[in-house]
Amino acid sequence: MNQADRPRVHISAQFNAELEGVRNDLMTMGGLVESQIEHAIESALDGDSARAEVAIELDIEVNELERSIDEQCTRILVLRQPAAGDLRLVLAIIKVTNDLERIGDEAVKIGRQAIELSEGGALEGASARVRDLSRSVNSILKDALDSFARLQVSDAATIILRDDDIDEAYSEAKNWVKSEIKARPETLEASLAYLGILKSLERVGDHAVNIAEQVIFLTRGVDVRHLDTLTVRDLVS
Amino acid sequence: MSEANKKFLSSTHRQLTGSRLERLRSLAMIGLSASMVTTIILISSGLFLLLVTSALSWLIGGSGPEGANWSTKLYSLVFTGSDLGNGISAVFPAIFGTLALVILMTVFVAPLGVATALYLTEYARPTWYTKLIRISITNLAGVPAIIYGVFGLGFFVYGLGGQVDQLFFSDQLPNPTFGTPGLLWAALTMALLNLPIVIVAVTEGLDALPSDLREASVALGATQGETVFKAVLPAAMPSVFTGLILATARTAGEVAPLLLVGAVKFAPSLPFSERLPFIELEQKFMHVGFQLFDAVLFNRVDPGDLGWIASVALVLVLLISSLNLIAIAVRALVLGRQEVANPF
Amino acid sequence: MDEHFQFVGGSETSETGQKNPSAIKISHLSLGYRDNPQALIDISLDIPERAVTAIIGASGCGKSTLLRCLNRMNDLIDGVNYDGQILFDGEDILDSRTNVTTLRRQIGMVFQRPNPFPKSIFENVAYGLKLSGVKSRRILEELVEQALRSAALWDEVKDRLYDSALKLSLGQQQRLVIARAIALKPKVLLLDEPASSLDPISTLRIEELIYELKHSFTIIIVTHNMQQAARVSDFTAFMNGGRLIEFGLTENIFTFPTSRETEDYITGRYG
Repeated sequence: MNQADRPRVHISAQFNAELEGVRNDLMTMGGLVESQIEHAIESALDGDSARAEVAIELDIEVNELERSIDEQCTRILVLRQPAAGDLRLVLAIIKVTNDLERIGDEAVKIGRQAIELSEGGALEGASARVRDLSRSVNSILKDALDSFARLQVSDAATIILRDDDIDEAYSEAKNWVKSEIKARPETLEASLAYLGILKSLERVGDHAVNIAEQVIFLTRGVDVRHLDTLTVRDLVS
Repeated sequence: MSEANKKFLSSTHRQLTGSRLERLRSLAMIGLSASMVTTIILISSGLFLLLVTSALSWLIGGSGPEGANWSTKLYSLVFTGSDLGNGISAVFPAIFGTLALVILMTVFVAPLGVATALYLTEYARPTWYTKLIRISITNLAGVPAIIYGVFGLGFFVYGLGGQVDQLFFSDQLPNPTFGTPGLLWAALTMALLNLPIVIVAVTEGLDALPSDLREASVALGATQGETVFKAVLPAAMPSVFTGLILATARTAGEVAPLLLVGAVKFAPSLPFSERLPFIELEQKFMHVGFQLFDAVLFNRVDPGDLGWIASVALVLVLLISSLNLIAIAVRALVLGRQEVANPF
Repeated sequence: MDEHFQFVGGSETSETGQKNPSAIKISHLSLGYRDNPQALIDISLDIPERAVTAIIGASGCGKSTLLRCLNRMNDLIDGVNYDGQILFDGEDILDSRTNVTTLRRQIGMVFQRPNPFPKSIFENVAYGLKLSGVKSRRILEELVEQALRSAALWDEVKDRLYDSALKLSLGQQQRLVIARAIALKPKVLLLDEPASSLDPISTLRIEELIYELKHSFTIIIVTHNMQQAARVSDFTAFMNGGRLIEFGLTENIFTFPTSRETEDYITGRYG
């Protein structure tokens, strides 16, 4: 997995195994929420409420993983008293788990909105914007998880920048929907549903940024949360 | 039952028997050592009792001048002696002489022995020749005492004594003052005799001290000398006392060398005077062990005299025991506060 | 294709400004003796004043040897030779003209196993004082009490000052030898694995004591217990194979060490 930075193993093979285990669980959780978002978005775009159900069902597993990972991390902290890199890893995992769980919740929300939409009607313009935004968000989420898996800081830095674009796109889409509501008030219900989905996507983007920030903390020891992007870029390069 | 099972059972059976055998063996060992120890205790207490009863029977009944009861006999035994018959001398001067010898010997052997031990362990680097010195010292402890007597006679009495006479007492010549056996030379000879024992005892004690004792002292800003005299030596005092106790016992009991260097069967006066230095070093003196030796070997001993001999032997045993007890008491008193780190 | 970890925060190394002035400045110290000609290799380190500096590292890395250089205890080893400079109070203590007995009164040492003298508690603490010339009984008593109070032992022994020191428990004995060392009011206190032979409660007491003492003394502690080093020290130096690998604020060393060797040792990865 991480050839570049962990050529040596712990004297305690057990400790090694514990760290690997919790890391793998985190990656699994990441995969799950990625697919949750995929299913939810597709169901919103296709009107396929069955897929929405799948997305909602997956959340049970995601929550279970969150509990399990937190337990494993607590165990490692108390029994192994990790220091330096190991400590930062465990702290980062705890935080990322939290973000992933929130992403899962957003997916559930999207799913619920999708179910509502499937009963009502779809809106072409809104749908298109949802599709575009979801592409960006999926890609940024995937890249964030990859950068965590490979501890690649350069990718992490760009994620933070890309989120700025996402925020802009969201803003634009929101305004469009607002004007749509004014223009055609009969589309209120559907429009509100799309608005909800767009909001959730934007939040997913923010969570992806959090994950990237943890990668920077892990590899550079700097806490870049709540700093503006220019400062971050300077710090990291 | 299959062959394999039979074989298995028989081997475990052997093991069971074996462990019973083991137990029997250890019981036998315990029994043997217990009986040996008991035998030794019985024999030594038997001998002691024999001495005591012989002495008492002589005191209370038995031979002696007419009209003597036990108290007059005791008095004669200790103080006057001559009343008791052929060649029997009093015991008190012998006790005095033995004590004087022991004290003088200690004065010589203690500083020399302790200093040597300190040098060997604290100052000298452990090279091949310090090892050689240590081995030689241990060997010296095994040299028969009479050899020391011969050496003492040649070196101290005739050699040093002769020189002293020529330098300071030439007017007395050819009557020797110091050039003849006497208390001083006897004490020096016994000091030499006991030197290896004292050195070995003190060395053992010093070696047993943990090295961080010295380190602790040095880390507090002590020089080597301060460490040795304020920390190391005080901690090793128990072994110094042990060495001196051993030396004392040997001095009181060892007779052979004293034959040559100063003890006599009958000395006209105690080696003690009223003017400085209060002790007459060139005089011959009496010694309890010597007295016993002389009585047994050179006197024609009547059966009745055996009681007297037993009494003298008893005195000797009691003397050595008391000296040891006093030394042990002194040691306990001096070290009472210490809670010895080294109980050697 | 990324990078190994690369700390970008600030770490208080001896080169970049330290808040505390230095009590001891070690420059290019090398040391060898017969059994180990390269016991210490080119060590340069500034020990901050009135703080606790821990020296950690695997067995045989030279940490005790380094500690013993500071009060010239290595002179006791056969065939020892050293190179370099150690500045204390403006003077090089490695100079052959240095008065080592005076030095050792200003840089005190506590050893791994409690080693009180087989004397009374009072005599133990007074030992160094008497050596340095204090004669008055009254002054001795006062100084002994002060030292025992500073070592958090006074209340437990004040009624039995003349009892043998060997009757105390191990934890008490260790506090006694600390009292013995601080009675001389040294500037620096060297602790060589002071708690390694003690039970956990006594260990914690000693650590509390160290925390108190650092307000008055500069303390350097060698320990193989990393958690202890982390708890007790302000600065940490990591040594390996006779060299100084890294030095900095303890919290930085333990969360983000700059050297891979340090990281491996601290996290228990020893290839």
